[in-house]
Amino acid sequence: MILRLSNRACVLSGSARLKSTLSTFFDEMGKAGIVLKSASTGIFENLALEDWIHDRVDLQNRSMLLLWRNSPVVVIGRHQNPWQECNLPLMRRLGIPLARRRSGGGTVFHDFGNINMTFFTSKKKYDRHRNLKVVTRALKALRPDLDVAASDRFDILLNGHYKISGTAAKLGRTSAYHHCTLLCSVDRSILPSVLKSNTSEVIKSSATPSVPSPVKNLLDVDPTLDSNTIMDAIASQYSNEFGFDSPVIKVDPTHEGLMPGIHKMAQDLQTWEWIYGRTPKFSVCSSIVVEDVTIKLDMDIKNGAVEQCAMEIPENWLPSEMVNEFTSTLNGSKYCPNETAVLVAAFMRTVSMTADVAVKIHRLCAGVVSVM
Amino acid sequence: MDVISIFHEDIVLLSVTMVMNHRRNARTPARLLARTCYKRALSTTTRFCAALKFTDKHEWVRVDSGVATVGISNFAQEALGDVVYCGLPEVGTKLAQSDEFGALESVKAASELYSPLTGEVTDVNDALADNPGLVNKSCYKDGWLIKMTVYIPEELDGLMEEAAYERYIKSIED
Repeated sequence: MILRLSNRACVLSGSARLKSTLSTFFDEMGKAGIVLKSASTGIFENLALEDWIHDRVDLQNRSMLLLWRNSPVVVIGRHQNPWQECNLPLMRRLGIPLARRRSGGGTVFHDFGNINMTFFTSKKKYDRHRNLKVVTRALKALRPDLDVAASDRFDILLNGHYKISGTAAKLGRTSAYHHCTLLCSVDRSILPSVLKSNTSEVIKSSATPSVPSPVKNLLDVDPTLDSNTIMDAIASQYSNEFGFDSPVIKVDPTHEGLMPGIHKMAQDLQTWEWIYGRTPKFSVCSSIVVEDVTIKLDMDIKNGAVEQCAMEIPENWLPSEMVNEFTSTLNGSKYCPNETAVLVAAFMRTVSMTADVAVKIHRLCAGVVSVM
Repeated sequence: MDVISIFHEDIVLLSVTMVMNHRRNARTPARLLARTCYKRALSTTTRFCAALKFTDKHEWVRVDSGVATVGISNFAQEALGDVVYCGLPEVGTKLAQSDEFGALESVKAASELYSPLTGEVTDVNDALADNPGLVNKSCYKDGWLIKMTVYIPEELDGLMEEAAYERYIKSIED
């Protein structure tokens, strides 16, 4: 049985009980376990939906499973460094956005061929192994010969070797969530290249690193396994495993009336300050070559902004006063190619320089931006 | 010269300058405060002694000379497992009691940290950036997380003494 909540919401708002939210709807249902499916494929809306459920739904005597998929996006863990984890210039060219989630763990690539599952419970009932059993048993119920098993790192491995699922989790005040991915038919021509940083060798950081693993799609071993079939099997197995009689409810995470505050949660997840600014302090130490001249670049980045910038440039290529003025321009700015380009353009307009120097500054800027 | 700034919701900012003698005599912080115009009586034992107090979220607080040091308890660090990263706030961040102020990441999960008191962050343990394992190895000493001012001293009365906290842990474990 699938209830469309958007229809139900019309009924709710038409009644006198205008304060009804998704939370009260669950309370009134009186079910100990509920399966939700998100109607959105937007990463920020779905991450906000997770936050909203975690913060606003009473999970002390109720557990929930949320199934969701996203259009192509790279998602990094809460304490990770995106410059270290993925190829940002490539992602910009391909139009693949970056998101930072609130749980820990490593970096993953999502597209429609990936299923995300979030298991919401009270802190007491937090049990990742049991949740992963739901997934492996569901897959085995569909295809008994499938060799899938959870590892002690909470990955799910196919044929003992290929990672098809990774796990991350967040523990809050009284409740917790454990979410994991499942590779069904992800575009494997993109995945390896976006998840390989172009600048990791020049970065020194204490951020949590990802553990790279060889991956495979379930589709590779069985072309008849599609995402919808798998999601239905997981929903069913969830009910079996925990003894629930769960309906499957489709939720629209853009419905502010039903989930007050969710719009702001989605906005907060999209700010530069959250996605890039939450990167733990790191330093960049790189040699860039401009016009056959090797320039040593040293930058300290804190909260995603350049805290300190130093360059070693031969005096005969660019005078040191010009270099100092250039580096001061960058101090305090966002570690971001667009912002840097804008600042340097303004710098070139305000500081008098010969055409020759202007060309050098322009190329120097391109070199600096190449590590962002 | 030591300067103690006391923030209190009923009074305008009061600065108390104190000359510290080698032996603490009549000019102890508690005595000086008693002379200032507070509307409420201050108990000297809970505010300025260095005993540990605990929250039900397994954070500990130790107040010394008006500054509270905050960390997580042994029960919490054992439950978390090896801490791999400490996400802590900036100095100057203002926190209300129960505000989320950061997260500790371990193999278990990213566990949110909640402020035991209302106040302003004055110091953050930088040693944890390179050595997050200090939270496991020395949770009451070298693994401290933040230091903060105490805006509302009465909040300390609502926290558990060590004996009460031990009883609380036993009740959860059962």
